[in-house]
Amino acid sequence: MSDTAGNGAVLVVGGGISGITAALEAAEVGIDVFLVEKNAYFGGRVAQLNQYFPKLCPPTCGLEINFKRIKDNRKIRTYTLTTVKSITGGPGNFEVQLETMPRYINSNCTACGDCGQVCTDEIDDAFNLGMKKIKAAYLPHEMAFPRRFVLEKNACSPATLDAVKAACKYNAVDLDMQPQTFTLKVSSIIWSTGWNPYDANKITNLNYNSSQAIITNMMMERLAADNGPTKGKIVRPGDNKEPASFAFVQCAGSRDENHLEHCSYICCMATFKHISYIRDQYPEAKIYVFYIDLRTPGKYEHFREKFMADPNSTFIKGKVADIVAERDGGVTVIAENAVTGTKIHQKVDLCILATGMEPALGAQGKALGVNMDGNGFIVSDPERGMISAGCAKSAVDVYSSGQSSTAAALKAIQIGR
Amino acid sequence: MSMNVQPDLEFIKAMKEAGGDTLKQCYQCATCSVACPLSSDDKPFPRKEMILAQWGLKEKLIYDPNVFLCHQCGDCTEMCPRGARPGDVLGAIRAYAYRALGWPKALATLCSSVKNLPILIGIPAAAILFCWLISGGMHIPAGEQFARVGYTQFFGHWDFRLLAKNVLFIDLIMLTAVGIALTSLYKGISALWKGMEASIGLKDVPYRPSLVQFVKKFLWPSLIEILQHNRFRECTVNVDRVKGHRPLMLGFIGLFIVTCYSLFTQDVIGIFIPSMHGPISMWNPVKLLANVSAVAMIGGIGILWLNRTKMEAAGKATNTFYDWFLIWMIMGVGVTGLAAELLRIIGIPSLGYVVYYLHLIAVAMLFLYMPYTKFAHIAYRTFAMAFERYRESSYIKNPLNQ
Repeated sequence: MSDTAGNGAVLVVGGGISGITAALEAAEVGIDVFLVEKNAYFGGRVAQLNQYFPKLCPPTCGLEINFKRIKDNRKIRTYTLTTVKSITGGPGNFEVQLETMPRYINSNCTACGDCGQVCTDEIDDAFNLGMKKIKAAYLPHEMAFPRRFVLEKNACSPATLDAVKAACKYNAVDLDMQPQTFTLKVSSIIWSTGWNPYDANKITNLNYNSSQAIITNMMMERLAADNGPTKGKIVRPGDNKEPASFAFVQCAGSRDENHLEHCSYICCMATFKHISYIRDQYPEAKIYVFYIDLRTPGKYEHFREKFMADPNSTFIKGKVADIVAERDGGVTVIAENAVTGTKIHQKVDLCILATGMEPALGAQGKALGVNMDGNGFIVSDPERGMISAGCAKSAVDVYSSGQSSTAAALKAIQIGR
Repeated sequence: MSMNVQPDLEFIKAMKEAGGDTLKQCYQCATCSVACPLSSDDKPFPRKEMILAQWGLKEKLIYDPNVFLCHQCGDCTEMCPRGARPGDVLGAIRAYAYRALGWPKALATLCSSVKNLPILIGIPAAAILFCWLISGGMHIPAGEQFARVGYTQFFGHWDFRLLAKNVLFIDLIMLTAVGIALTSLYKGISALWKGMEASIGLKDVPYRPSLVQFVKKFLWPSLIEILQHNRFRECTVNVDRVKGHRPLMLGFIGLFIVTCYSLFTQDVIGIFIPSMHGPISMWNPVKLLANVSAVAMIGGIGILWLNRTKMEAAGKATNTFYDWFLIWMIMGVGVTGLAAELLRIIGIPSLGYVVYYLHLIAVAMLFLYMPYTKFAHIAYRTFAMAFERYRESSYIKNPLNQ
């Protein structure tokens, strides 16, 4: 036993695909694991995708089996709506303060949906990136795990709250729930806090707010998803027009010292994936991709080649630096084609900003004593008992996240032995 | 096979000195060409100029009209994702082009480095001092005489009616400076024009505009545009420069008119009416114009001075000799000129003479170094703007050919 062994338990912060993987890898060799997630559900960004690389599976494919493994494993304890407040101690004897926000629905919930039926107050659907409204008593999404409703108490009138409480047959609505703080003692911490899509409003020259025809790549995932706001039909938000032309704006905020200095790695591939979505629905639509250079590493090259051969798709070397809203609901994107040396004003029906990954932990990480690099990614520091995994560590795809999460679990296990 | 690559150290050094060493950061995303409010759809810049500079293709850059069309407003620099500062790089390319196009070469090279500042001041200082020595006018007048003649007998006085002694010496100094500058500009602009024509693949043009047509269709509209500052106003980040550049330019025009008037009255009319010699009355409208222009010049250059200081403090501009030398020279001309006038009015001849001597140095520097410093933009940019009109005109784009 090393002097950092302690109780051997591992805290995994962030319950997306990376956190789930790391938690399972550790728990399935018999380690005690606490898996905490800030959202009301596990699955993170992958749950929001329509399909994910490398095999273009729907998220149910990877997540469902993992949820099952978590449910079957007594070594994992899961916490949703929970964040880390403070950390004391060191490897082997961390004391971590956590706080769980009230869900206002207790574990009696069977997700029958009666509360949602009677709830009349609505909120923005965060899972669908605000592209539609949902009831304030809701299941975050069809596949949500834990399969339990959430009540957005602040958005409800007293009358609604009474109705919601009365509608529940199982006495699952608890309006008096309070935020709860608790302490966990662990030997090591895995940070798998993931990423947020970069805020497109910050890229002022792209005028994101000027037209509903400008969407982000994550919105495109939701538009294409069967459980999305349009039931999988790719249409223009606002007027539901079937777009005849699309523009992809690569590096929207990435590789830019005014925004995200790093390359977000996945956006080029995401764009090719979106072209595959579009081609399923609109075989003849015109597609224009504006890029600095296309980064499709390794075996993804074949995927790129396949879609670059498409006669209705045009690839223009030149970053879009201005977008103008048009009266007909479309937009004109403006770039210089660096190969021909002339400017292009391309009018399209729908414009997709390939926004990048911003590490989600942010400034809070510094306060918790986490070692972060200049771009906000967490530096793995096994000496200090803190290991990073997935997109919290660097901008990567799901496949690489799986690798780094398994590696993180191995490191964490060693600290606790 | 081994390859012996010789980097063009001279060009790299020149770019560094003029504040353009950030060019190596550029990764050709072309944001700048869209950000630039002056860049056209057919011939956008500065993305292309950035890669030409990276590749060291200086011959292409010197004759690239876009290099001179750039007003360095900094909108591209503001939006550049890599901090490559295209605005500053194009400024550095211009500095290099003025040097490359300048004649005589030695003088052009001299103007490119702050290290040579003592020599740059020393040349006119020595020449004027020498003239002063040989003129025999080396005595400072008494208060009463100073009030009457001012500085018009700086280089002495003789009774030869056709040409005042003072005028002879001033002409000797200033016309030499102006002569060198104009010869240099003529050579430079001729070379630039030929190069610009070659850059658009122009060899045989069936019809060329006559001089009158050229002035009327291309040069004059450009001058009007310059006067109105239309392109300056397109800038977003640094639009405040208009507030300084406009009064400065109008001041220069005013002073040019006054100089012509003075030359005419003193040297032509003065032959017949000797009373025209000596300082002009304060209430003469021309004198009024002179004073207003001087104030506009000092105010304008002062605004540009503060503007540049502010931008450098905010890291939005690089501190370069190329930019500051012109500001210093103009400020020098304005301040010494106004100070000499004030000293004449309040009657302090000794100090007045020293300040007047400095004023002559500053004016001579401004004239002599015009083709090699940032000042050269008034000639090169004007002709680049005329060329831009020319290349879009039917002389080049023959509608029958398209």
